[in-house]
Amino acid sequence: MTFKEIIDTPCGIRYCFDLLELQSGYARKYLLDSRMMTTAEEIVEAYASLDKFTSLLEREPSLIQNLQFRLQGLRNISNTLISLEEGSALDDIEFFEIKHLALLGDEVKQLFSKSEISNEWTTFDLDNIIRILDPDGLKIGTFYVYDSYSMEVRKLRRELENDPDNEDLRERLLNEEERIKRVLCNLLRPYATELTNLLHALAELDIVISKAIQRKKESFTIPTVGSSSSFEGMFHPEVKAILAQKGKVFQRISFSYQPGEPGIIIGANMGGKTVALKSLCLCQYLFQFGFAVPALKAEMVPAENIVFCFGDDQDQQKGLSSFAAEMLRIDRMISLVESGAKTLALVDEPARTTNPTEGSALVSSLLRILSNCPNLSLVLTTHYNVDSDARCWRVKGLVEDKEGSDRLIMDYSLTESSDNEVPHEALNIARKLGISSKWLEEATKILDTQ
Amino acid sequence: MPFIDEILKYHSVSIVGLEKNTGKTESLNYIINRLPTDYFAVAVTSIGLDGESLDQVTSTAKPEITMKEGMFFGTSEKHYRERKILSELYDVSDVTTALGRVVTAKALQEGKILLSGPSSGSALKRWMSSLNNFGIDLILVDGALSRLSTASPAISEAMVLSTGAAFSANIKDLVARTSFVVDLINLPFFTGKETETEISSFSDLGTDAIRNHTVIGVEGALTNRLLQAVKNELPKGEKELVVHDFTRIFVSPDLYRSFIRRGGRISVRMKSKLIAVCVNPVAPNGIVLDSDLLCSALSAAIGLPVYDIVKDRDKYDV
Repeated sequence: MTFKEIIDTPCGIRYCFDLLELQSGYARKYLLDSRMMTTAEEIVEAYASLDKFTSLLEREPSLIQNLQFRLQGLRNISNTLISLEEGSALDDIEFFEIKHLALLGDEVKQLFSKSEISNEWTTFDLDNIIRILDPDGLKIGTFYVYDSYSMEVRKLRRELENDPDNEDLRERLLNEEERIKRVLCNLLRPYATELTNLLHALAELDIVISKAIQRKKESFTIPTVGSSSSFEGMFHPEVKAILAQKGKVFQRISFSYQPGEPGIIIGANMGGKTVALKSLCLCQYLFQFGFAVPALKAEMVPAENIVFCFGDDQDQQKGLSSFAAEMLRIDRMISLVESGAKTLALVDEPARTTNPTEGSALVSSLLRILSNCPNLSLVLTTHYNVDSDARCWRVKGLVEDKEGSDRLIMDYSLTESSDNEVPHEALNIARKLGISSKWLEEATKILDTQ
Repeated sequence: MPFIDEILKYHSVSIVGLEKNTGKTESLNYIINRLPTDYFAVAVTSIGLDGESLDQVTSTAKPEITMKEGMFFGTSEKHYRERKILSELYDVSDVTTALGRVVTAKALQEGKILLSGPSSGSALKRWMSSLNNFGIDLILVDGALSRLSTASPAISEAMVLSTGAAFSANIKDLVARTSFVVDLINLPFFTGKETETEISSFSDLGTDAIRNHTVIGVEGALTNRLLQAVKNELPKGEKELVVHDFTRIFVSPDLYRSFIRRGGRISVRMKSKLIAVCVNPVAPNGIVLDSDLLCSALSAAIGLPVYDIVKDRDKYDV
């Protein structure tokens, strides 16, 4: 699973990606092509590096700025490096690109020379590469077939200057230049792998710096890698930003779940159940791609598969109704779980588009068949009364305003609850929305007669 | 030397032709040849493909762009690989064209080159800003076939206009059409604080927006349809149209002149300086106009000096 494949998951991950201050288009592509990490070791290693750069950002902001400025010059020259490795003849433009990359690597190495991160960069031996492409030792990022490469080229160029229309001279000069380029290719070929590693290291540097800046700016945290998942003060960055624009504050939530023990979130409409589920999904992707996560504190478990069943999954192109699309998606998730893969499944109001009798049966049975799977972490939201011993979380819902007015306000916090009787607040919320009182009074009458 | 001193006052100058074969490339070579490149860093590029040795459309001989030693140029990867002069690569930009990325290099000897620079105005702007690191004093842009957009003040500060028999074979008509373009280039700056309303050529023109306002901003292009609608309201009161710059005006000369005659005004928010007008009295179909007559008639109409660079080359060098 690559970042590109999950970036449009409707959980707000693209928003976090767009917030990154990446300096080069290549780093952007590199991140999009990167594979999702699924083992604790990989993630721990990635977070160690992120942590190191966060503290570097605190201590030496000017160094980071300097690095970012240099990284703007990073270009994707992977095709050139492949040509070099395969032994194709390179031309001026390709030599220029290689020289540019080597000089950029060297500058970064110099910048790091006094910091603790230096050891990762001292392993790059760039002096030989630079010497090959900078025979005069000018350390300027320009290139042409320099006079100093051969006596012959120098002689021919001078002769041609005095006799510019001499085709024979021109031909000889061209041949000599071609010969020099072949020699340069042969000299550079042994460094092809080194140069590819350098290209990747520079892209990774750009990415980790932008993640560190994001962590600081957005107040994200680095989660610990453990055996269960728990969040304190989790928030959804995109929703938080939208609320902030309207002068409102996002109410952070705390939540936990673990493999083998399904969790359900119940609560009133507009109580933030879906936002909570989206935040969980977002955090999991951020975690497995080495980003800091939007919470005050978090512990998380890596999964091999992340399944997010959300909202109106209608697929008209395939001719599926929203109910059919959802059922198929959940069915795929069940087979994944049965295959034994470590899976995190986040399901938003399953079977909500069908009638409540069958709907609640479907949800209860889903919870039942998935309750004893040690390789599955499952969180679902629902409006149905479900018959299950799953761990149940409830949105606090409408409470009286603290300031003593009799206004009702929404408390979005989640509390664990022993009974899973769903709240009956739909009418109150509709009233808050200013829905036609004629309609709501009629609804109250019907409820009273039941 | 005519108008070279004037060019040195600007950071970016575009050379635009009103038609193919109006001597644009001749003008560019003329300018390059006379610039003090030994102490003045000059970069040159073209918008789109230019500098082919044979004109692609009419197959007439076309002068190539001659680089002087030390000059910077921007061209496509393809034409850089095919070049015959010795040059040092300074940058491979991320601006791409159909012929590959645009590269920036410095000529290490004098020689001719095919220029195929960025193919759109915004890409050209990006390329121009990438030159900041190289200490360039002046950027010359060779505008392609009747693309006045290069001359937009958003891109270049000043311009040299070339016109000639290829644009019109009748001196009277050539003068009229060229002076219309010059009139547009020299439209006055908008001096007011802000416009009363903004309309677009694609909006519903029957509305009161035109009737009830005097100073009207034009979003995007000013077209015949819009100008006609505003003209119809002129008898009832003054009208001033505010356009971004002259490259956004696409109206017929007759309508423009009748609008102005009836007291209508058009002003611009941005303006580029017209440095000179060059003429080429020879058209590719063999028509040759009287150069002296053409220069004096055009000069009288536009109130600016007009040069026939090919004919008078020796005269100006004395």
